[in-house]
Amino acid sequence: MTGAAPASVVYGGTDADQASVRRTGWVRRHRAFVACAAVVAAALVLVLWAQLGPKGDAVPMSVHNAGPDGARAVAQILGRHGVAVHDAGNYGAAMAALEAGSSPTLLLYDRNGFLDGPRLRSLAASAHRVVVVSPRLQTLDALDAGIRQAGVVPDASPVLEPGCSLPDPQAAGAVSGESGFLYDGGTTCYRPDGSSAGLVAVGNGGRLTVVGSTAVFSNGQLDSLGHAALAIRTLGPSPDLVWYIPALEDLDTGGSPASLDDLAPDWVRFLGPWLVLVALAAMAWRGRRLGPLVFEPLPIVVKAAETAEGRARLYQDSRAVDQARDNLRAGALVRLSGHLRTGPGATADQVIDAAAGLLGKPVRELRELINERPGTEARLVAWSRELDTLEKEVKSR
Amino acid sequence: MAISGRFVLLVLLGVVPVLLLPDWGTVLLVSGVLAALAAVDLLAAAPLRTVSLLRTQPGNVTLHAAVNAVLTVRNDGGRRLRGVLRDAWQPSAGAQNAVQDIEVPAGESRRVTVRLRPVRRGDLRAPHATLRSFGPLLLAARQKTIHSPGSLRVLPPFHSRRHLPSKLRKLRELDGKAAVQIRGAGTEFDSLRDYVRGDDVRSIDWRATARRSAVVVRTWRPERDRRVVMVLDTSRTSAARIDDETRLDTGMEAALLLGVLAERGGDRVDFLAFDRRTRARAGSAGQGNLLGQLVQAMAPLEAELIEMDWPAVPAQVRAVSAHRSLVVLLTSLDGGAPEEGLIPVAAQLARQHVVVVAAVRDPQLGTMLGVRGDATGVYRAAAAERALLQRAAISAELRQHGVSVVDAEPHQLPPRLADMYIRLKAAGTL
Repeated sequence: MTGAAPASVVYGGTDADQASVRRTGWVRRHRAFVACAAVVAAALVLVLWAQLGPKGDAVPMSVHNAGPDGARAVAQILGRHGVAVHDAGNYGAAMAALEAGSSPTLLLYDRNGFLDGPRLRSLAASAHRVVVVSPRLQTLDALDAGIRQAGVVPDASPVLEPGCSLPDPQAAGAVSGESGFLYDGGTTCYRPDGSSAGLVAVGNGGRLTVVGSTAVFSNGQLDSLGHAALAIRTLGPSPDLVWYIPALEDLDTGGSPASLDDLAPDWVRFLGPWLVLVALAAMAWRGRRLGPLVFEPLPIVVKAAETAEGRARLYQDSRAVDQARDNLRAGALVRLSGHLRTGPGATADQVIDAAAGLLGKPVRELRELINERPGTEARLVAWSRELDTLEKEVKSR
Repeated sequence: MAISGRFVLLVLLGVVPVLLLPDWGTVLLVSGVLAALAAVDLLAAAPLRTVSLLRTQPGNVTLHAAVNAVLTVRNDGGRRLRGVLRDAWQPSAGAQNAVQDIEVPAGESRRVTVRLRPVRRGDLRAPHATLRSFGPLLLAARQKTIHSPGSLRVLPPFHSRRHLPSKLRKLRELDGKAAVQIRGAGTEFDSLRDYVRGDDVRSIDWRATARRSAVVVRTWRPERDRRVVMVLDTSRTSAARIDDETRLDTGMEAALLLGVLAERGGDRVDFLAFDRRTRARAGSAGQGNLLGQLVQAMAPLEAELIEMDWPAVPAQVRAVSAHRSLVVLLTSLDGGAPEEGLIPVAAQLARQHVVVVAAVRDPQLGTMLGVRGDATGVYRAAAAERALLQRAAISAELRQHGVSVVDAEPHQLPPRLADMYIRLKAAGTL
């Protein structure tokens, strides 16, 4: 049966003139791919634009932050009352603003402890008054005013009364103690019951004020209790206020230990890019396919029992107990009639009689079983099993 | 254009000078040298414009057997071609070594043998072959895909061949030729031969015995030169898969066994694949042996998603055979369509011919019938019962019209159909 048919010769050169046709057809054939690529590119541009675009100031306690934890409200109020608020972005700006102002007040909120001792000390020396909000241990140590940390305000005292003789707290009245810190040393105000430490501590003869809560200055809570009064009286005595929130760039790296980058030899910088180049070459090597794919025309194949399965699901969805019973009964009778050789024209009663005769059972009992109409699914299951058993009994005789 | 693994390795080695003299200048220099090496190698590679392919068509093969496809690569250029060839057969052709290294000196040609082990019946194709020609350094290569159509016809496997010896034996028994001690069961007088012990005494020809000194018996043989017309249904119902095989494939197996058996039995065999038009036709009248013609005709058949045109079938049968014939309809008995199509046509054919309807029964239905554990199982059993009752009703109606029905599970259908043929032949009804 195997015979070598005439062979066909094709030269590679004949393909050259088809190249231009192929190139124009490329876009049409890869329409879906091109559309997907365009959508992905558009999405990428959108995301990058959203990421790189200018964002609102979200730094807590910032004078530009209009959110609940910002301090824009208090800065604007102070500004309206003749206090020049200088927002210092970094240490240099803060120092310059302090030196330019007349008896300036410094507000310092160093949440992460970016400032080191010498810088803190020179800031404190340049400022007339220093208000420190929720300072850390290192900050207090560096300022060296005899004020120490004394834990957090207990939950039992959400509102703290002034309880001291200083004029500002007395004028302001009660403030919220929620998520505030306590400080000990100097003159303390807003003490919780049974504690000598307070939310506000004043040391250095009034030149250093420590406030253990940001809520007092925040936009969100400025209008509750005596917050506004305390904030304005604390920050407002001098005509110049330098508002300084140290950031990562204020970290003095001069004396810190050398980073991994400094320790590694020079060639490490070139290893990564070169390995990327190797990876690209490997991709080009493995990614280049040996010619186009070949199509496999797949024939249609359907599972034959699918129709019966579908009908079974229809029966079940509509709870067709009667229909199922009729089918099972008819099938059982046809098979019984075959076993009992009652002939093709036999009626149901004749088949039942023959089965009863063979098994030696009362005809009535068999007739009741075969003609039963199960009302529920549970009964249908039990009945169909009984029918199955009957068939097996007849078959085994 | 393609690069080799060797080039990637070279790029990796390029890390050494870069690390020894860590500087952007070194990086640029090393990259430049690598790129230049690749470019030179690419330019030095044998051009593929002057390479031609000559394909020797592998011809025919039965399913699951192996065959070699030969491709001759001719290099008419001036440089030695070193590279890789991929013979792009479609996946079901089962190419074992589709990608091979080749080396063709200038002006010579080399033969590449690809071993195919097809896993699907039908005409399998290889639209093109791809050549990759490396330069002398084996760093970079030119690549070209050359249109070079090849095709391989995969024939039906004829698994039912294993039933052939036993069925042929039965046929010979009918003929009276086999060494069993019974009379030939046919109706046509064949010849006289000497009595051997154990022969039926009723077949002794006394007149001939009287003329000779020895006892002589008559032998009989079944009628010969009858016509068998097999009609294979290739419509939508034949696409159904039963037991890892479509109805179409099972029908082919049955038709092959019956065709070969009937030919040995001395009958004329015609085969017709039909849905709304004739898809294939073969028969004893053609050139060459019957089995070869049948498998050639069946190989490219696929189930078509259209309804069978039953009213056109009698005319097709008449076109094949004008005389009384055995007409075998290889189709399905599932509910719905047969009442309108199959039954009236079979009844009409039965008035002139002997008609046998052969259909595959799904063993899955029997399994569904037995599982009655819960409500789902019972509903499935009821649905299976309904399908089987419908088949039984259609079979009964066909039998009423004098049509014989062979309704069997896939592996049983070919031998059962053969048995039916032998029974009809023995009865002398053909």
